[in-house]
Amino acid sequence: MTATHPLPLVGAPAEVALATSPRTAVARAVREDGATQELLAFEVDDAKMALPLGAVKEILKVAPITAVPRAPRAVLGILSVRGHITTIVSLRATLGLAPLDALPRSARILLVDRGVEVVGVLVDAVTEVLRLTPAEIEAADVVGAGLAEHVRGIGRPAGTSDVVVLLDPIALLRPLDATRRGG
Amino acid sequence: MSDEADRVRDEFLSESQEIVEALSRDLLLLDHGQKHGHADPDLVNSVFRGVHTLKGIAGMFNYRELSEVANVLEDLLDHVRLGRVTLEQRSLDVLFEGVEVLQRLLGAVRGESHQVDVASFRHAAHDLLGTGSPPTPDALEAYDLDPSLLGVLTEYEEHRLRTNAEQRVPLYRARVRFALSSIDTDLDGLKARLKPVAEIITYLPSVEGSGDDAIELEILLASSTPLAELRLLVGDAPIDVVPLRKGGSQTMPPPPSRPEAGPIVREEAPRPITAPLDLEKRGGEGVEGIALRAVAKTVRVDITKLDHLMNVIGELGIVRSAVGRIVDRLGARAELRQLASELQRIHRSFERHLEALQDGVLDVRMVPLGQTFDRLARAMRQAAREDTKEVRLSVTGGETEVDKLIVEELIDPLLHLIRNAVGHGIERREERVASGKDPVGIIALNAYQKGSNVVIEIEDDGAGIDAERVLARAISRGLVDASSANELDEHAIRQFVFLPGFSTTDVVTELSGRGVGLDVVRTNIARLGGVIDLQSAPGIGTKFTLTLPITLAILSALVMRVGEQTFAIPLTVVQEALFLDPDGVSLIDGREMISLRGTSLPVVRLQELFRTAPSSTARQYVVVTSLGQRRLGLVVDALEGQQDIVTKPLGPSLAGVRGFAGATDLGDQRVVLVLDAPALLDEVLSSEARFLAAPEPARGGYA
Repeated sequence: MTATHPLPLVGAPAEVALATSPRTAVARAVREDGATQELLAFEVDDAKMALPLGAVKEILKVAPITAVPRAPRAVLGILSVRGHITTIVSLRATLGLAPLDALPRSARILLVDRGVEVVGVLVDAVTEVLRLTPAEIEAADVVGAGLAEHVRGIGRPAGTSDVVVLLDPIALLRPLDATRRGG
Repeated sequence: MSDEADRVRDEFLSESQEIVEALSRDLLLLDHGQKHGHADPDLVNSVFRGVHTLKGIAGMFNYRELSEVANVLEDLLDHVRLGRVTLEQRSLDVLFEGVEVLQRLLGAVRGESHQVDVASFRHAAHDLLGTGSPPTPDALEAYDLDPSLLGVLTEYEEHRLRTNAEQRVPLYRARVRFALSSIDTDLDGLKARLKPVAEIITYLPSVEGSGDDAIELEILLASSTPLAELRLLVGDAPIDVVPLRKGGSQTMPPPPSRPEAGPIVREEAPRPITAPLDLEKRGGEGVEGIALRAVAKTVRVDITKLDHLMNVIGELGIVRSAVGRIVDRLGARAELRQLASELQRIHRSFERHLEALQDGVLDVRMVPLGQTFDRLARAMRQAAREDTKEVRLSVTGGETEVDKLIVEELIDPLLHLIRNAVGHGIERREERVASGKDPVGIIALNAYQKGSNVVIEIEDDGAGIDAERVLARAISRGLVDASSANELDEHAIRQFVFLPGFSTTDVVTELSGRGVGLDVVRTNIARLGGVIDLQSAPGIGTKFTLTLPITLAILSALVMRVGEQTFAIPLTVVQEALFLDPDGVSLIDGREMISLRGTSLPVVRLQELFRTAPSSTARQYVVVTSLGQRRLGLVVDALEGQQDIVTKPLGPSLAGVRGFAGATDLGDQRVVLVLDAPALLDEVLSSEARFLAAPEPARGGYA
């Protein structure tokens, strides 16, 4: 059983607040095996991926990003979100995909709580909020070896032929910590 | 630990820290007083109360060791207060040690240290308590005092009475009538007027003179001031002062019963006062009430909340500039001109209020340097005792205000400089006498504001720094080669003491100057956007001058462009900016140099350093940055002007990226990176010590 909601998107730098307490929400979504999971689905390089809805604080339209020389490759730069300097990373670069020549109009920045900070994650497009039952999710350890650490599982919404890669926000953005000194 | 527990702990720490600072301040005053023959008993009381409060809150928050040490200290102070332990250098030492132990225990709570030795203080306090001498034969017997009066005095009050009697200070008994409606302020006023000339031992409500709207107090005074003068001082209150006579029968004249002669109650009390005067508020305890009232006027604010306010103000500034742009657009259309000018007026007023708001928030962040200087004074005293040197501290400008965050970061560097001044600057007594100096060394701490900077000087009248020995050391350490050393003047040579690697522990004893970790001091000061300079004359003394921005919250920055990208750099490190003459650039040893007024200046192209897109500008600029004696020219494409900026930190993801102190919002949605000048200088110049000491005749002169 799948429910999809159209997501309201407001003009830059306006945003949609999604959850008030992302960390607890992540914890709940991860821990509650057996319950329905809410996920925010988006597109990257024609692939459909999703993050737990609770980990995504806001969705921003793309505003001019200030490049940071010497930053890790995946970091596009910084943006001021209501006075807070926020690091913006490219999901394409994080996943080792080639960058786009031009950003599509549908591109969005997801403000993702990665524990130590909130970072902006640039995706090609946001598609929908998914509610997946346990039956619609194959956990990573069931799928088998070969999956990257940041893949929590594969979602197969009933009644569609979609395949959604479920990402773990903490593991996905962990490489940002490994770039001390000089990057 | 939960956030709530953290918050509670932080609150406890900040309150305790304040108490400990006040304690050490009072102890220093006591120390000073004791040396000059008069230790103010009020100070002993103030220390006693502070320790008592600390004991209370430490117990409340279950910091057992802290509470126990405070308890020992309180006992000791109680004995001092009551004269059972004499206040002298030995007991002061123990008191100072106690406060030091408290400070360390607070450090342990903060997680800064683990092991705090409490035992030695305990022993010292115990020894001291054992030596208490019994009170000498009662000098009070000579006075004709009403036994019922003596009966109601507290032990402390009796002790003060006795002490004054022993010292043959004349005692007086006064009756003063106060209107109930204004007794608080009137009594405070009277106390303030008497304080310089007399000691109020106690005040008690007198039985007869009190009525519904007035109360009469009997005040016991000790004063060496002639009676006539005393009467004059307390003059405007209806008062009668009578000396307590020795031996003779002493009778109080009846209280001045003259309700018609001058209104005692000048106006009706605005509301009926139902509660009688709180009798427990007399004597030492009364002060707590006053302290409570004083506390009520101040609030303790977490500095992050102020940062948040600054953030909001920054956002408002962005809103303001957006409105400004709309005004411009409206003004361009003839039919809307009227509207535009109205909006313009509102916009200006908004701008003014916003500036006032910003100044207000900045002002709240400001704290006087005095507190820091007190801590330094204590450290100096301790260092001087450890080194068995005689040093006097002279402080000016304690009222100079600096951003709270800067003050916090300043303590370590200043402590370092003070310890150095005691350890390596001030000579031993014999040496000083031999060279015709005052046997007691002087360390001066001066602070003053200079434009938007604060200058702090640490000056000693010690041996000075021998430039030749510094040079020899620098050459032997490979920091400079002997041939280029000839061109350096003494001032430039002395700056070598700031180089990393100049001093190691083996130098300390060998070198008559200083050197221990001065590179660390310089780095810390630079991190605050400040500069440290050193001047010294052998045999006369050494002066360190720190120049710091008043606030870190807002700083003036130069905005400049490199290719497509804009950067800001704090003006505190910018010495000047000039055109880059492409023909004037020479390549020396793989490094680009230009000649600036006869000296060589290494330059670095930010476009190359940051690998930004190459620029197409024909004309480029050199922004000359300097930190102490180290200078570096940054080649940029354009200078966009000067702007006040609020630097915000980059997130943890970018913590490893060197060269940027943070980022700032310039308004119109433009975020620019703020260069970390000290880091850039270190990066570019670190392995190139030969560039470090370019002497600079332009600035000239050293005292």
